[in-house]
Amino acid sequence: MATSVKWYETDDIISLSAIVKRFGGAQALCGASLSVKRGTVHGLVGQNGAGKSTLIKLLAGLHEADEGEIEIDGIAYTGLSPQKVEHLGIHFIHQDRLLVPTFTVGEALFLGREPRIAGTPFLDRKLMRQKSADILDRYFGLRLPNSALIDELTAAEKQIVQITRALLDNPKVLVFDEPTATLVRREAELLFKLIRRLRDEGITILYISHYLSEIVDLCDTVTVLRNGRDVATLPVRETSAKEIGALMVNRDIAELYPKPKIAQGSPFLELEGLGLANRYADVSLTLHRGEVLGLTGLVGSGAKELLRTLFGLETATSGAVVVEGDTVFPASPAAAAAKRLALVPEDRRRDGVALDLSVTENTTLASLDHFSRAGLLDRGAERRKASELIERLQIKTDSVGALVRTLSGGNQQKVAIAKWLSRRSEIYLLDEPSVGVDIAAKVEIYTLIGELAQRGAGIIVLSSDIDELLGITDRVLVFFRGRIIREFISTKTRPDQVLAELTGANETLRHVG
Amino acid sequence: MAQSSFKAPSFTVSVRGLARYALVAVFVVVFAIFSAIAPAFLSGANLLSVLVNNFALLAIVAIAMTFAVAAGGIDLSVGTAIDFASFAFVSLVLAGQPIPLAILGGLVGASLVGLFNAILISGVGISPFLATLGTLFVGRSAQQLLTNGGNPVYLPPSSVPEAFRFLGHGGIAGIPVPFVVAFGVIAGAYLILSHTRFGRVVLATGIQASVVRYSGIALSRYTAATYVLVSAIAAVAGLIVTSTVTVYIPSSGNAFLLNAIGATFIGTTLDPHGRPNIPGTVLGVLLLSIVANGLLLSGLNFYWQQVATGLLIFSVLAIGFANRKAASRA
Repeated sequence: MATSVKWYETDDIISLSAIVKRFGGAQALCGASLSVKRGTVHGLVGQNGAGKSTLIKLLAGLHEADEGEIEIDGIAYTGLSPQKVEHLGIHFIHQDRLLVPTFTVGEALFLGREPRIAGTPFLDRKLMRQKSADILDRYFGLRLPNSALIDELTAAEKQIVQITRALLDNPKVLVFDEPTATLVRREAELLFKLIRRLRDEGITILYISHYLSEIVDLCDTVTVLRNGRDVATLPVRETSAKEIGALMVNRDIAELYPKPKIAQGSPFLELEGLGLANRYADVSLTLHRGEVLGLTGLVGSGAKELLRTLFGLETATSGAVVVEGDTVFPASPAAAAAKRLALVPEDRRRDGVALDLSVTENTTLASLDHFSRAGLLDRGAERRKASELIERLQIKTDSVGALVRTLSGGNQQKVAIAKWLSRRSEIYLLDEPSVGVDIAAKVEIYTLIGELAQRGAGIIVLSSDIDELLGITDRVLVFFRGRIIREFISTKTRPDQVLAELTGANETLRHVG
Repeated sequence: MAQSSFKAPSFTVSVRGLARYALVAVFVVVFAIFSAIAPAFLSGANLLSVLVNNFALLAIVAIAMTFAVAAGGIDLSVGTAIDFASFAFVSLVLAGQPIPLAILGGLVGASLVGLFNAILISGVGISPFLATLGTLFVGRSAQQLLTNGGNPVYLPPSSVPEAFRFLGHGGIAGIPVPFVVAFGVIAGAYLILSHTRFGRVVLATGIQASVVRYSGIALSRYTAATYVLVSAIAAVAGLIVTSTVTVYIPSSGNAFLLNAIGATFIGTTLDPHGRPNIPGTVLGVLLLSIVANGLLLSGLNFYWQQVATGLLIFSVLAIGFANRKAASRA
């Protein structure tokens, strides 16, 4: 029997070889290959434009390859359709995949394949309830009421419904496409646990993510795509997030976090015992001109709420905010922006940029005063400013008039920052600035942060990517349960030291000890 | 992104261009058909009457509506604003006040309606649809209470001053006053929506309100101002209609509501991104006006007018939808 186990271990359940795919004149894939071994968690990474989504759409039967071969379970297929792929046991979990919002959990789970009472046209509601409750309980330890509406669920719960829907079909392969993009970290950790468990039960996982740290934590093997080709397939044990990142951009690791040496200026923003009831308390810190200050903390640690308070989205219940000696009360975003504060929010597509406004309109939205006289807009001046910032930030767009919706995540983020550059804001609050941004754009954003600091701005970066945080900041403050519990000098700190504080590992030890 | 390079620019541009001009094309075709089947349609007197009687009033109301829709809302109480303007105007004239004061009174009366909406929407946070629907009902009852159950308030010919007649029936350099006023409102509204900071914030609010707030703009103030502006513009239509017919009829302003909404949405097809816009709204009003007039002249049953209007809205919006679908594929 040992030989047959051996055979399974080396068997590729999915094998895409030498795939070529052109869209019009553009070549999305030029000879990409991907082999996924049965029973493994296989990561797929690449920058935007590397061909990840095209490859996945080919596998899902949404596109057809121009050249190359797709084998599933050792059998070559052409003309795959989404139904056929699902029939072969490959299921896709996608954040944007629609669940009908007004359906109940039970209805959504069985949509299109409702079990019937034998010999009748009537739905077997009892069986539906039992089957779904069984899976939800077994895998998620969760009792989602069958009658809850999809609309009422959190992003994580919706994803659970999707996964459950797939599990009801006894799938062989689950493909997760950026599954954590809409999850908070605690939820993401639960998802990882689940994925490992599914793997142990024999389901093969293909996992696509922007977050290299997830890939390293979760996957057995990783394939890196670059410019439509697979440039490497590595066992994760033998590599690191940095090496994978470098492969994705074809650069040296040191170039990933450009950080200029800047002489620190005068105190710019000072917080004195700032507190917000039930969120954080007694936060005192000083941000200097030319300084990049990092904040990190788990969800609920208060770090995010602190940024929101500084931008007037929450109102502090105690303490003071001082900008260059003036005590200010940012009671609204308008008041905060007037004090030269700028927030680049985490939910970029909701709060950061207006997707259906043009690049120009987004760029000038926070600084319309600069472009109007007696209320009348000077559209020529707006376009000139937008062109200047497109040039300076290397925003890739067809034109100044293109809708921001048509830009990639990284370029959208640059527009969200450009908006404040146009206003000449000087205190930048960046909330997870590189989430959903491809590596090349990340490096450009890091470079920009360095430039802003060089020009005398003060910058606070909130991030859960500790490598990034240590790479681009001068100091890192760790929030735990609403308080700053530790300050690190970035150049003298290892990621694991921050991680230990972040998760409260040291805190617990102290209490126990 | 690999997908974004999947583009055939010349093709999408032409489809978009085509769809944009569909509204103009539909207008030309409808115009040609009526010219052919109803000889009276093309006469100068008829076209003038269309412009003065149908177009001018509806244009003003539809432009008011365009601001509400541009801000991502709607105003179902434009008729109420028209009525309040009309009531205040007639009451002040009857009381022997000078016409300029009566006009001011009408504008203030209507702006109270807008202020009420603004408080409900910006202050309380009720959705514009429900808030203005409530205002519509409250406004109707208030008018019935004010007029002993809805009796019209007539201006006896003896008490109608000359300046009043001029508003409804006079002319400036041979051009009827209602049309001149409508033209002024159109020009002013175009300037505001397309060329001012206020207009930009209104459009941005309609597209993604949260970004406006996160951009350090006092969102609720702008929204409140928008609904007051909507009522104030609608009031102008109330003043003109009252001067023309020398009577205030309670709740009569609601007659404009559905056409104003229709014209605004028809007008969105003129914009490449489907945004509410003044030229589009004006063209929409022109289309609805000539359809009403043309059907009347071709001797079709009056009730078919509504069917024709509905069909027009369907077809133009269908083209607009195809337009945006083509654009989103780009």
